[in-house]
Amino acid sequence: MEEQHYQSIIDEIWQKLKKKHLYPEIPMPKVRGPLEQGKGEAEEDEGVGLEMKQKQMTINGAFVSKMKGKMPEEKVIEALLDHGITHYTFCPWDFHTHLRLYAEAKKVVGDKELAKQVSNYFIDVIADTHCVKKRFTEIPELHRNLTKGAIDEVIAFLYQKIWGIDLGIQPSKTSGKTQADIVRRLARIPYLDRPRWGESIQKFARSLKPLLVEEQRQQETKGEKGESHPQGEHDLNHYSYEEIDQGLRDYARQTMALSEFKDVVEDFSEELKGAGYGMEGGMGRGQKNPIDADILFYMKLAENYSIPIKKVPLEQKGSLHPHSHSPWEVGSPFQEVDIWTSFGKIMPGITQIWTKREGKGRGKIEGTPDCLIAIDSSGSMINPRKSLSYAVLGAACATNAYLRNDSKVAVYNFSDAPMGGKDILNYTDQREDIYRVLCKYFGGGTALDLEDLMPLIQGKKNLDFFIITDMKITNLEALIGFFGQIQNRVTAVHIGDNPYAARFEKAVERKKNISIFTVKRKEDIPHIVLGRIRDYFNPTHIKNS
Amino acid sequence: MKPTVSPKKKFFIPSNKVYWTAKNPFEEFKAFIGSTPELPLDQIVQCTEAIMDRIRWGYEKLLEEEAKELVWMVQYNTIIKAYEVAEKYVKEVDYTAEDIEDFCFALENTQKIPYLIPGPAGVYISALCNYAKEEEIVLKLSELKTEINLIGFRLPRGKRLMIEGDTGDFTGIGLEGGELVIEGNAKNWTGAGMRGGKILVKKNIGLHTGEWMMGGEIYVGGRVRGLGNIVEGKVYERDKLVYPGKVRYPNHFY
Repeated sequence: MEEQHYQSIIDEIWQKLKKKHLYPEIPMPKVRGPLEQGKGEAEEDEGVGLEMKQKQMTINGAFVSKMKGKMPEEKVIEALLDHGITHYTFCPWDFHTHLRLYAEAKKVVGDKELAKQVSNYFIDVIADTHCVKKRFTEIPELHRNLTKGAIDEVIAFLYQKIWGIDLGIQPSKTSGKTQADIVRRLARIPYLDRPRWGESIQKFARSLKPLLVEEQRQQETKGEKGESHPQGEHDLNHYSYEEIDQGLRDYARQTMALSEFKDVVEDFSEELKGAGYGMEGGMGRGQKNPIDADILFYMKLAENYSIPIKKVPLEQKGSLHPHSHSPWEVGSPFQEVDIWTSFGKIMPGITQIWTKREGKGRGKIEGTPDCLIAIDSSGSMINPRKSLSYAVLGAACATNAYLRNDSKVAVYNFSDAPMGGKDILNYTDQREDIYRVLCKYFGGGTALDLEDLMPLIQGKKNLDFFIITDMKITNLEALIGFFGQIQNRVTAVHIGDNPYAARFEKAVERKKNISIFTVKRKEDIPHIVLGRIRDYFNPTHIKNS
Repeated sequence: MKPTVSPKKKFFIPSNKVYWTAKNPFEEFKAFIGSTPELPLDQIVQCTEAIMDRIRWGYEKLLEEEAKELVWMVQYNTIIKAYEVAEKYVKEVDYTAEDIEDFCFALENTQKIPYLIPGPAGVYISALCNYAKEEEIVLKLSELKTEINLIGFRLPRGKRLMIEGDTGDFTGIGLEGGELVIEGNAKNWTGAGMRGGKILVKKNIGLHTGEWMMGGEIYVGGRVRGLGNIVEGKVYERDKLVYPGKVRYPNHFY
């Protein structure tokens, strides 16, 4: 009954709220009734006023009922919704910002749970302060009436100071000086200055850390769970799968640091799994399958780059061409009518249509062949699981480019191949499997075993070859000889300049099917045009293949 | 003469006068324009920024005057001279202990302060601490990547400076009766030339501790790596008096 009443209040005020927040794209909030649970849990449930899942805000009816005696229900609901909407319209705005704030907080507090708490408090302070400054809101009234724990009291004390509104907070006699010190530091932070949020949350964390550590210690001693947050928790439930995906992509691009990305992904691994986030083939799903943060890093980072592929004329893929006639029936497509044999008439029994068949339209239809990626993981290359490897990033971008064009990719990861330092993956379109082999690191000597490549090449008329190495290969001459024989399109990417790379470039400079690129910085990666050949329209490689 | 308006073109003038008045299509949002009240936060942040600018300006002037080539040699005379210059600029600014802490972190932000030269920076921070209004100053510097040298230089009687984190070389040199507490480690030459007061280092301390100290006490919670040539005063290691004492000799490193 109460839920219906609260829902009717929301129906009534929702248009006003939308207008107040400049019409955000948020669905109509819902009301949730009390959960069926034990007494303790029911009390805990009453403490949370707002839940947010993806973009759906849900008001907790039990919380509103509890607050009824202190302030009007409409005002409680409006304040909660003001707060919730501001999370979408100002802070954190997106998952990337949330991750960034969390990572900055963790640098200061060092602990995962504390960093989550710090970022939650910081996000709330910004949202509420923004709302108080920019909109007419009941948030101060809500804070005046909320039941507060030790940290909430400090935060309310801070609000009192920075909003200039009396929230009825008196510093306690025992911890008054400490509280005042903390609040004095917190009040100096420019909360509404978005570009400075990174530096601001560090300052916020430094000031709040002693209180959080003390609270955590007390909870551990008592074996209690932390107090629930009246304005709702900020977890990954706020975001949709696509937002999380985009957030990880942006975060990988912005940090460009494997260790930082790995830290954050590992800290949020449970939530990511809970949100159904993982990789294809089930990685990241299920309790016993941890998310491989290294692979995820290269996956998300590679998604930021789009490498074009020059298509080639493929033999087996032809267009449909007119093959034979069949009688026209009502409903058959007019554009297929053969006007010459139908005598210019549309009449059943007389009119004929073309029946088409797929022909071998060689030279007419372009497609993308499969690709064999050879990646060097010798000791002279960077370990992709320790720091950002441009070789793996480049190979990952190439993988994405071929898979996007419905082609398959095989991987030959080599170090000292004749001595067993190699991993071979046959042609597949499973991105996760490909990335796993790409990220493998042997760290030994550098030699190719050309015998390993033969099974991957044989029987493939159209095949692109992509090799990424620093060219410090022991049997470089054998590789040059091998490239001299094949007519496939070859994209050779070498990391940095060195005499071996110069030797390779000189040896293959006359081969028109080989394109060479140098990657010195991450910015060089988008310049790679896979399968680019100097004389694209010269069909020699097709004739010979 | 050509008519200015083509006779074929006709303007439609609505008969209803209501349509005739121009209507702002954003009328709906009018209520939100200018409805941003000034919060005390804005004033606090503005004021903090202004003070930080002044402090930064003073530091840059100090560098201009004392480290022209961006090189600064730690010598008795250079420290004294740099401190005098720092005093001149610091006295002009009205600041709090939090401003000093913010300045320490701003030093690491190359966008704000282009040069962090540990010597002059330490002298400048010491001057800021010595001229602060507060008698007790707490600087939470544990997240600072750089260890600041010369912190606590000439800390006067009646002042208590507490540093959360580690400090660099020459910590608390020339202490003038104040109390300096280091929650972490301190490096070499700590308390050199101090005349009075107390230095408490909760963890370990480096070489040449108390070199030419003329008075006062140094308490070390961890280990003392080496004592200097002490003239007068006391040094304690884990509550045990190590100077004056029979076991330890000046410049004895252990």
